[in-house]
Amino acid sequence: MGAGASKPAPKISSDGTPIAPDRTQRSQCWEARDIYYGCLDKHDILDSIAEKDKAARVCAAEGRAFEANCAESWVTYFKKRRIAEYKKNKTLEKLKVEGAQDLR
Amino acid sequence: MKYKTVQEQRSRYHSGPFSWKAGVLFLCSGIGLIYYFRYEKARMERKRIAEATKGVGKPKVGGPFELIDQHRKPFSSEDMKGKYALVYFGFSHCPDICPEELDKMARMIDLVRASAPASAPALLPIFITCDPARDTPAVLASYLSEFHPDFIGLTGTWEQIKQVCKKYRVYFSTPDGVKPGQDYLVDHSIYFYLMDPDGDFVEAIGRQHSPEQAAAIIKAHMGDWKK
Ligand SMILES: [Cu+2]
Repeated sequence: MGAGASKPAPKISSDGTPIAPDRTQRSQCWEARDIYYGCLDKHDILDSIAEKDKAARVCAAEGRAFEANCAESWVTYFKKRRIAEYKKNKTLEKLKVEGAQDLR
Repeated sequence: MKYKTVQEQRSRYHSGPFSWKAGVLFLCSGIGLIYYFRYEKARMERKRIAEATKGVGKPKVGGPFELIDQHRKPFSSEDMKGKYALVYFGFSHCPDICPEELDKMARMIDLVRASAPASAPALLPIFITCDPARDTPAVLASYLSEFHPDFIGLTGTWEQIKQVCKKYRVYFSTPDGVKPGQDYLVDHSIYFYLMDPDGDFVEAIGRQHSPEQAAAIIKAHMGDWKK
């Protein structure tokens, strides 16, 4: 992961410690993430970690842009969060359907 | 209908067990009482939340600490006395939750300040890092300046941060001895802690609250404050 991606070097604070991504860098990362997600959706991939090979094949450019714009820890976090969000929404939908049935 | 005298006119309206004035008064006080009871109920509920943590001995959430702010000035729990504080734990290298919550916090602070009476105690927005190795004062200064000019960013040694997290019941998972250039994530609380001018915990405001709802909760607690 991260191979070939040339991340811009982080800015350095006045005491020499690297500064966290700022607002602009964050939104660039989120944008690249959403484009990558869009590609995964199109190819029916939920878990891009488990389906690593397929994701690398069908979303190569999007994946590279995602990794180029986000720290590696963020990339992993977002890939996992995508799965967690999906499961959460599924559970909510299920509860809603069950609730609707109870009312009937 | 015409009345012969003013007297007669008056007596007509005054007579009877349910004169119009009494009726209006009754209605008004009735409505007033409903509002008063509602207000009292809400106030008592807030008081219950606020008092639940006071009790005997040490407060359950919060407590004394000594850290430094983003300008390298010492900042301790004593600096919170006499003021309300909204305390948030996070870290600047956070991928998404912290930035969203800090934008919300900035909005809350502005909403509360815009409508708080002049007599109300001040409200301090405080960000305590859970990642002291990377969040030095200089890093916090540049990070927080993008959210609100009044944010107070606190950092310290790994041990100091561990202790303050413990006092605020924040799960602390940050490894000790990490290098500043390392890439990792840390756990932190997702709540805003509202602390009163005594330094006692009042209420936790969560992600489900909009800035407007949160501001209303804070203002209600501030309005209850009498000292
Ligand atoms: Cu965070």
